[in-house]
Amino acid sequence: MASKSRWADTEEDAELEAKLKREKEEKKRLKAEKARKAAEEEQNRIAAQQAQQAQAQAAAEQSRQEQGQSLNEPPRNGGDSRPTETAALLRFEAPTWKPTASVENYDKLNDIEEGTYGWVARAKDLRTGKVVALKRLKLDETTGGGAPSQVGLPETGLREIQILKDCSHRNIVGLHEVVINDAAATRPNRKEPIEAVFLVLEFVEHDLKSILEDMAEPFLASEVKTLLRQLGEGVAYLHAHWILHRDLKTSNLLLNNRGQLKIADFGMARYVGDPAPPKLTQLVVTLWYRSPELLLGATTYDSSVDMWSIGCIFGELLAREPLLQGRNEVDALSKIFELCGVPTEETWPGFRRLPNARSLRLPSAANAPAAVTGSMIRAKFPLLTAAGCQLLNSLLSLDPRNRPTAADMLRHEYFTQDPKPKHEAMFPTFPSKAGQERRRRKETPNAPGRGQKAPASVDFSGIFAGRDREERGGGFSLRMI
Amino acid sequence: MSHMTNSLATVEQLYGRSTLNALPQDLQDTIFFATQSLTQAAGLLLRLPQSVTAQANVVLARYWVTTFWPFADEFSDISAASLFLVAKLSSHPATPRDLCNVYAYLLSPLSPLFRPSSAPSLPAKADKTLYYLSEPAYSEAYARVLSLESRILCALSFDTHVALPHGLAVTYLKALDFMDVSPSARLAQRVVAYLNTALLSPQLLYLTHQPSALAVAAIYNAAKDLDAKMPECAWWEVFDVDREELGFLVVGMRSVEGAVRAGHEEASAELREGNMITRAGIETEMRKRGMVLGNGTTGGGGAITAPLTEEDILMRSLDERADQMDS
Repeated sequence: MASKSRWADTEEDAELEAKLKREKEEKKRLKAEKARKAAEEEQNRIAAQQAQQAQAQAAAEQSRQEQGQSLNEPPRNGGDSRPTETAALLRFEAPTWKPTASVENYDKLNDIEEGTYGWVARAKDLRTGKVVALKRLKLDETTGGGAPSQVGLPETGLREIQILKDCSHRNIVGLHEVVINDAAATRPNRKEPIEAVFLVLEFVEHDLKSILEDMAEPFLASEVKTLLRQLGEGVAYLHAHWILHRDLKTSNLLLNNRGQLKIADFGMARYVGDPAPPKLTQLVVTLWYRSPELLLGATTYDSSVDMWSIGCIFGELLAREPLLQGRNEVDALSKIFELCGVPTEETWPGFRRLPNARSLRLPSAANAPAAVTGSMIRAKFPLLTAAGCQLLNSLLSLDPRNRPTAADMLRHEYFTQDPKPKHEAMFPTFPSKAGQERRRRKETPNAPGRGQKAPASVDFSGIFAGRDREERGGGFSLRMI
Repeated sequence: MSHMTNSLATVEQLYGRSTLNALPQDLQDTIFFATQSLTQAAGLLLRLPQSVTAQANVVLARYWVTTFWPFADEFSDISAASLFLVAKLSSHPATPRDLCNVYAYLLSPLSPLFRPSSAPSLPAKADKTLYYLSEPAYSEAYARVLSLESRILCALSFDTHVALPHGLAVTYLKALDFMDVSPSARLAQRVVAYLNTALLSPQLLYLTHQPSALAVAAIYNAAKDLDAKMPECAWWEVFDVDREELGFLVVGMRSVEGAVRAGHEEASAELREGNMITRAGIETEMRKRGMVLGNGTTGGGGAITAPLTEEDILMRSLDERADQMDS
């Protein structure tokens, strides 16, 4: 180094560097400190958990100790020589049980429906202000005076509660709690009979059926895909948890204003095993959505009955009206055969052995033209893509073994093809009947009838009066309560 | 996950049961054991699968921790109502008439269930009228069952889900390669026996531990009993059970017999004779022990326990000492 360059390190530079270094170290130290604290906290938390567990055990042990028995007899196998580090064990969160609360915690806002399966109302939780749906369980044959009913609480209702309690999925309506009438809840020791059981469900604005009935334009292809995919996801969850819904239909599918579809009404649902238990009731599923094997009296069936209903719903989403509107069982079956073709031994092996198939008279396979045994779905939905048609066809297979499972369905290319399923957030919104919103009705005047008297004089003075009282806003107006 | 997990009792519930209750612990345990045994016997006579009866046992236990002396209901009715409720929700419902008939028989003096082995054997031609259930008696019994059913549901906030450890235990045995060795049937049988015995345990093991822990403890015990060779390592950790928990359950499962026997001996002759324990029986027993009980009309928690006399306390501590030396 001959001469000092003007870029060479000066004392100032050195100082600056040292300062930077110090700052860096300080930062590092703080970081380490933070990590140490977090670890400590974690340890504390675990210790607290263990203490809690020990406490629970201690309480349980008490009964033994009071009888003077000793508990200090640990298992001898291997444990003593083990090093003390503990493995990360999976801990299950354990819910508890507590007495059922009273319905008085909820304030009724308006009735939503007084339907076949009971009474549903919109209500507000007085503790949180949250809006919920209250569904009153039908307690059949129970007389109000407290006389015992013949069956006690209906098992369908209890099954519905149990299944909803066990389910947690974004496409299945959530059950917050179950409440009962005030007298039974507040005085359990007085043997007050339960007069009413209410399910507190998450409030969802619409059901798909009334949307389909009211909408001016049918759903776009991309919207149908979104709805069908959500339905498939919900049903796949149910089937993976060994639950058959057994009453899928558009009026049981709810849709909220964020485009989320939720499966509701588990009054017909039940747990099944694999293979499904024999002697299930064949009287399930609303007629229009009932699969041919159920109509033919099968008592052993599985998740494919739900898949048939999904097929019917798919068709309904496209056509805006129920696909197979049979007036009775016979009519329903003939409508199915009209649409999907008449079954033959090839298309549905063994269908003749079903209980109600004996009385069935079909055109004999030999002289039936191909058009009769073939499916009419392609012709009925000319605007549907080939993939969509193929999916609908497979869902509406007469032979239950040919229907895809819900998981299969979700992997179908129909969902990956263009147009892609619309994002839920982009879904259109609708006025909620349940929330007492209404569409602005445009009254169209009728043509003047012949022979009507023309008004003698018309007062036009109010022509611009009251203008500010007119309804405004988008397609609907909210009624303020 | 719900297929493998259960709701567990809270500390308050367990603690409250042993402290708020005016009934001495040994009587509580005796009642509990008798009621659970009655449920099992009824399940057998109704030809229900053990999966149903076992679930009824667990539901009954859950309801049990929420009830206190003075009991509003007869113990046998609680048993009948839990069994009826669980069977109704399963694929093996019991008809009300069958249920009431079975309980009438089990509660009759002819029932062999609670008959001590020393008692004279039944006459060959038993008097069938002793357990005949007339129509009015039947509708009365059924009404009691229905009323209790709804109160059980209220107390459990309508949650009737019970996960049993039996299936898990078989899976675990398979995972441990125990199903292939020759005494596998005996081992599996032993495991199931431990699990079923635990249902009757007054320690309420099914309310304090998850099914996986129960299954592991039953396997541990069964393997010990049959001298089956277990892995050297801490194999229970594979099934997410820690050593503390296992130790507690192993002892708990093994002690059911001793605990029941001890409670049985402590109870007076009338209480343990012949029949199912009733509320009236408990009341007489309490009077005999010098404890005064509220008669239930004073409202919730109105029961008062009179202080024990000095002699009683002395006798009790001596008994306890003797028990300790025995075990």
